[in-house]
Amino acid sequence: MLQRLRESKSMQGTLLALPTTAWLFVLLIIPLILTLVVSFGQRTPDGNVVYTFSLDNYIRLFGYSTDCSDGQASCFDPLYVNILWRSLSLAFNTTAIVIMMAYPLSYFIARAQPKQRNVFLFMVLIPLWTNFVIRVYAWMMLLRKEGAINAIIGWAAHLLGLHFTPLEMLYTPGAVLVGMVYEFLPFMILPIYTSLEKIDNSLYEAAADLGANALRTFLRVTLPLSMPGVVAGTILVFIPVMGTFIVSDILGGRQVILVGNLIQRQFLDARDPTFGSAASLILMVMTLIVTYFYTRKFGFGEEIVVA
Amino acid sequence: MNPHRRSPFVIAAATMVYIFLYAPIVVLILYSFNASRANVKFEGFITQFSDRIEMDGSMVEASPCGPFHWYCDLAKNDDVMEAAQNTLIIAFTATIIATTIGTMAAIALQRYDFKIKPFSQLTLYIPIVIPEIVMGIGILTLFSQTFGWLNNVLHLAGDARLALGIGTVTVSHIAFMVPFVTLVVQARLQGFDKSFEEAAMDLGANEWVTFRRVTFPMILPGVLSGALLAFTLSLDDFVITFFTNGPGSTTLPIYVYGLLRRIITPQVNALSTVWILVVFIAVVLLQWLQNREEKIKH
Amino acid sequence: MKRNILLKGFALVISLSLLLAACGGGGSADSAADEGNGPKVTSSGFECPEPSPRMEVTSTELNVFVWTEYFPQDMIDCFELVYDIKLNRDEYSSNEEMYAKVAAGGTAYDLAQPTDYIIPLMIRQGLIQEMDHAKLPLMSNFDPNWMDQPFDPGNKYSIPYLAGTDAIIVNTDLVENVPTSWADLWNPEYAGRMVFLDDSRAVIGFTLITLGYDPNTTDPAQLEEAKEKLSQLVPNVKLFDSDSPKTALIGGDVDLGMTWTGEAFVANQENPAIQYIYPSEGPILWQDNWVLLNDAAHADAAYAWMSYIMQGDVFWLTIRDFQYTNPNQAALDYAKANQTDVYDAYFNSPITNPPAEAVANGFGIEDVGEATPLYDNIWVEVKGGN
Repeated sequence: MLQRLRESKSMQGTLLALPTTAWLFVLLIIPLILTLVVSFGQRTPDGNVVYTFSLDNYIRLFGYSTDCSDGQASCFDPLYVNILWRSLSLAFNTTAIVIMMAYPLSYFIARAQPKQRNVFLFMVLIPLWTNFVIRVYAWMMLLRKEGAINAIIGWAAHLLGLHFTPLEMLYTPGAVLVGMVYEFLPFMILPIYTSLEKIDNSLYEAAADLGANALRTFLRVTLPLSMPGVVAGTILVFIPVMGTFIVSDILGGRQVILVGNLIQRQFLDARDPTFGSAASLILMVMTLIVTYFYTRKFGFGEEIVVA
Repeated sequence: MNPHRRSPFVIAAATMVYIFLYAPIVVLILYSFNASRANVKFEGFITQFSDRIEMDGSMVEASPCGPFHWYCDLAKNDDVMEAAQNTLIIAFTATIIATTIGTMAAIALQRYDFKIKPFSQLTLYIPIVIPEIVMGIGILTLFSQTFGWLNNVLHLAGDARLALGIGTVTVSHIAFMVPFVTLVVQARLQGFDKSFEEAAMDLGANEWVTFRRVTFPMILPGVLSGALLAFTLSLDDFVITFFTNGPGSTTLPIYVYGLLRRIITPQVNALSTVWILVVFIAVVLLQWLQNREEKIKH
Repeated sequence: MKRNILLKGFALVISLSLLLAACGGGGSADSAADEGNGPKVTSSGFECPEPSPRMEVTSTELNVFVWTEYFPQDMIDCFELVYDIKLNRDEYSSNEEMYAKVAAGGTAYDLAQPTDYIIPLMIRQGLIQEMDHAKLPLMSNFDPNWMDQPFDPGNKYSIPYLAGTDAIIVNTDLVENVPTSWADLWNPEYAGRMVFLDDSRAVIGFTLITLGYDPNTTDPAQLEEAKEKLSQLVPNVKLFDSDSPKTALIGGDVDLGMTWTGEAFVANQENPAIQYIYPSEGPILWQDNWVLLNDAAHADAAYAWMSYIMQGDVFWLTIRDFQYTNPNQAALDYAKANQTDVYDAYFNSPITNPPAEAVANGFGIEDVGEATPLYDNIWVEVKGGN
């Protein structure tokens, strides 16, 4: 037996890959299948699952409702579609803003003196390694009515003799957006930096020699070569934003409902694991679709490995 | 053209982003010295070094720590220590296991052809491209549905019962960490120069010795990178832990979230500041190590 | 070479972590250390009463699933010290959340703290076991008015913990027209200034009351009306919070809203302008209770805990720290005799000790059986449409 193992490369390969594959099969594939099965079930009044095959949950998610206020037999209830749309928009907006903020910073670090580069890089790592929940809390302190931002503006207004009503920033959709941007900004900075750093200086020299000005160099040399980093960063930002529920929970006052919140609530407060499972799978599908089309256009982003 | 020259626009933008990154952290640290339990407005630093200090209009017990009142408060908090312990135990165990099986898988995928290869590759990509909540809910569903049945079938009772706790959290962490480890090691293997191995084999070494003495040392940086990445992911994880933990397995992120659900005193800020400090020290030390390494080389 | 740096970096991380872990381990052992035969004292200086009767316990841990902000730390510390049992605590902020987790299975909790209406549901689903009254001799400490309730006749499955009301809370400094009824909350003046409990039954309940219906109705038509009315109110709510609603009030992020007894008491202490107002239609009355979960692995520790905290000289800590209405007569007597300040504050406050007229038309939330999904759906739908 051992002899066969020594000789068969195929068996060796299988054996090496087996622990990981088995682990993921049990903890990823099977749960996904279970979620799928539960999503076709129905809830009992007490919140248990009846295993049948029913598309009710999906139908409900996409807005078909028989419970219409104007007495019609069926109508379109956009409630859940709105939630899905809201999450997509937030994810897109966050990603766009994050790219706009991260790119100058990554560029700055990549073009710094090699010695300084590490310092600037580590300055990005510190917020990144600070706990996620703590970072959200920090924004609570800044945004509340008597928080730091209002305090500073109020003080400045006082100095200038202007009347100032404190801004209501916390518990709004804007707060959620700011929170999301803050959470995921470092995840975009690092991949973009990695790909920018790899650009050989001689390319810049060549461009200059050929008469390109700064803008042209950027558009024709820098930007295209940094795309793997941008793509990697987008994947690292877009996907988590789609699923995050903490930021909207804490900074949105339980009023800003995103898909993540919907799923969480279905499993906890609303006691409908079947509907929650359906929502969970739709979220996954939506994310996969967007990721697929994005990577087809822009490549897979080898910079996802920021080693 | 000086490759290190940057336009003022870039410098200005970079500065603004750094300010954006650090403003909340500065506020967080500042408020950890707040002389107000309600922690809404900053009422100034605590200046009294005595057993009882005035705060929010009434007298409050305080170990004589002066401005560091909330840090002393934090030190008395056993729950935090336990949460920190749990976090580290889980991170360590999960990292060791994930790195081991992940490296094995990376080697298999990069160098061997075997029947389940496409399936292995696919399952490794999935955790990266799905939101954590989907995975968390799925795993919770799995555990909830199967534990009851398993406990009955195997006649487990009392403390031996399968239930949500440190075990489930660790096992779940490994699941989402392994793809990252594998990816990192695979990337390292991709650029690998096989001529070293061939040379070793030519000189008479068998496959195992070659691996041990040539291959593995050369991929070690990649393996360690993967391990470090995995460790960081585990330390900071909230979502997966949220769905798979049980009593007594609280980790620091879950604990902080719990604190936010109660009266938020500056103790949370003290905890946050300590965390930031630990990260800062780790980063500075790594930087120092790297500098030393550079110096030795030159 | 990069490898060396990484190796060293890794070694560093490992050693730092081991150091922290060692410190942490040492710390918790110290605080639970036996102080010999002397009285046990908690870290805040409170001297722990001895348990009487002292129960036989073999378990070393107890897992409880409880509400946020509900336990005096001294109570927990004392229990851990006198019995040398580790108390692990997970928290929730709504009954539905608690129920969902317990019903899903796979959890390791011994005790939970449901509010009255969800107990029949838990009994029905076989999630809780009957309590052995022989192991709870101090049950006589409770005021009989809180025992033998309709949701659990004979207290077969539960014993009371604390009780209270849900009512309106207002910062009278910042609000000109102070609301006096649930219906007043719909006043457009209050838009964007309110905090509500994240409690589906309470909020839907008072909406039904303002329509003149039974807050526990199962009539779908009435519920539909309530949903319509509620969806006009929800956009005016700035924030839903069942964890610590007083924080937003004290912090000035909101000016009024609805909340529980305990939150109102603390807010009022911080700022006397914040007042608790019993609505004219009647406040919501509730009672929280201990239940023993069916597959509790540490039942003996659970009984020891319940028995210990039932003692008057232990339970009075709740009057001191978390001011809700107290059903434990022995605790009230103890406080009256030994801690008159605490007792007076409790007795004289209309928040913890509501006047009879205020609660005369109070209403309780009850289990609605088959209609539960209707309530759940209303809650998701009115909150989700933004």
